[in-house]
Amino acid sequence: MEFSFGASATKIITTTGFSSLEGGDAIMLVVACILLYLAIWKKFEPLLLLPIGFGCLLANIPMSMMASTDTGGLLNFFYQGVKHEILPPLVFMGVGALTDFGPLLANPATLLLGAAAQIGVYVTLIGAVYLGFNMHEASAIGIIGGADGPTSIFIASKLAPHLLAPIAVAAYSYMSLVPLIQPPIMKFLTTEKERKIKMEQLQPISQTVKIVFPVVVTIVCCLMLPGVTPLLGMLMLGNLFRESGVTARLHETAETHLINIVTILLALAVGSSMTADSFLRIETLKIIVLGLLAFSIATAGGVIFGKIMCKMTGGRVNPLIGSAGVSAVPMAARVSQKVGSDADSSNFLLMHAMGPNVAGVIGSAVAAGVFISLFGDTVAPETHAAIADVIGTVEPGAKAAISQVVEALKH
Amino acid sequence: MEASISAAASVSVLAMAVIFAVLVILIFTIQALVKLMPYKAPPPAPPRLQTAASENSDQDDHVAAITATLAMHMGKSPSEFRIVNISQR
Repeated sequence: MEFSFGASATKIITTTGFSSLEGGDAIMLVVACILLYLAIWKKFEPLLLLPIGFGCLLANIPMSMMASTDTGGLLNFFYQGVKHEILPPLVFMGVGALTDFGPLLANPATLLLGAAAQIGVYVTLIGAVYLGFNMHEASAIGIIGGADGPTSIFIASKLAPHLLAPIAVAAYSYMSLVPLIQPPIMKFLTTEKERKIKMEQLQPISQTVKIVFPVVVTIVCCLMLPGVTPLLGMLMLGNLFRESGVTARLHETAETHLINIVTILLALAVGSSMTADSFLRIETLKIIVLGLLAFSIATAGGVIFGKIMCKMTGGRVNPLIGSAGVSAVPMAARVSQKVGSDADSSNFLLMHAMGPNVAGVIGSAVAAGVFISLFGDTVAPETHAAIADVIGTVEPGAKAAISQVVEALKH
Repeated sequence: MEASISAAASVSVLAMAVIFAVLVILIFTIQALVKLMPYKAPPPAPPRLQTAASENSDQDDHVAAITATLAMHMGKSPSEFRIVNISQR
């Protein structure tokens, strides 16, 4: 082989990343650095934004083969875990192992707050359709309002994989901003007197109920919405590890090492999907605006329903715990505690807010299940797509409207 | 556009109804579970009586701990020690 210094030097120069660096790549490198800055110095969800930011950094180095779309590249392998819906359910297993459903079981009515907060998902869905997204994309954007990162990623990868990066970044960014977004809305919607309401101590729950609960939820919810089984099933399995008392090693693994490893893989995979082609689009700005709308309306929905419960119980429920229905465990519950204690320093709402908070996890998973039933490709789609049968008992006008939706979706 | 928005609104109403239905079912299920399996406070621990047997047991524990410490300090096995007498002071 003939060696020429000039040819070799030229070859080395042309194979550096600088030779292929385009404007879009450079902007994405700046975006990656901003994410790293927010994670490290501003402490915005650092466990997620740091690997997401670094994944973005790696993916946008030209010729590095680190983008999620680079077949055979390292992060492409990680991305398969997102694409094939493996990593988000595993994160949910860890979340289940970390979660104590005791406060929810002690006051099951707080499940309604978790349901009410999902209003943000659906108002955002309508807003997204108004801004020109199709129904699949709008569903994936709307679920940001569930304030649940793994659920957002799960739904986005299933219904709108091309929007995965902006949806994941918006979801995690807003989750980290919960302490800034929620308090003004909570204060605006409640009176000083309501914020000072002290709630009764929660009743203790037997260990048997705690053990039976994950099994019952799996049976009830997964039979009703089979599409959500990967998420909810893993959440409940993790919780059963915790509560059964016979799987200490599995519980410990799920709540520590497994969730940490999977978080690294998941966040890097999401970061690797943040390439200039997929991120530097007008849709990203729309998603960021819609994400904020989703969070705000979800918070307002929870607080307003909390006010309704307050009235119905004769003032025994502090409406502030409603905002915790947005999921984002346990940050949203901490915000309820903080706003409550600002009004009255002797008011302790944390455990009461944990009920709607974990209800929000179940609520957002159920909301995801509804989307999968409506728009996803389940094993037996006809049983889920037949919405008309599901709503058979609803008044005829609504039934006709839903039938039209079903027809529209089929085409 | 109007048709899409009305379709989205219909989906939203339906989905919220499904979410509330599922969670209301769960509420009733939890209430039934709590009723069927009520919390029973654990019985209070019996007061520890200072009996001769427990005194002996405490003494054995002390002897074992001191023997193990001595054995480690001297680099020997605890089985190499033979306690011939324990006198109370």
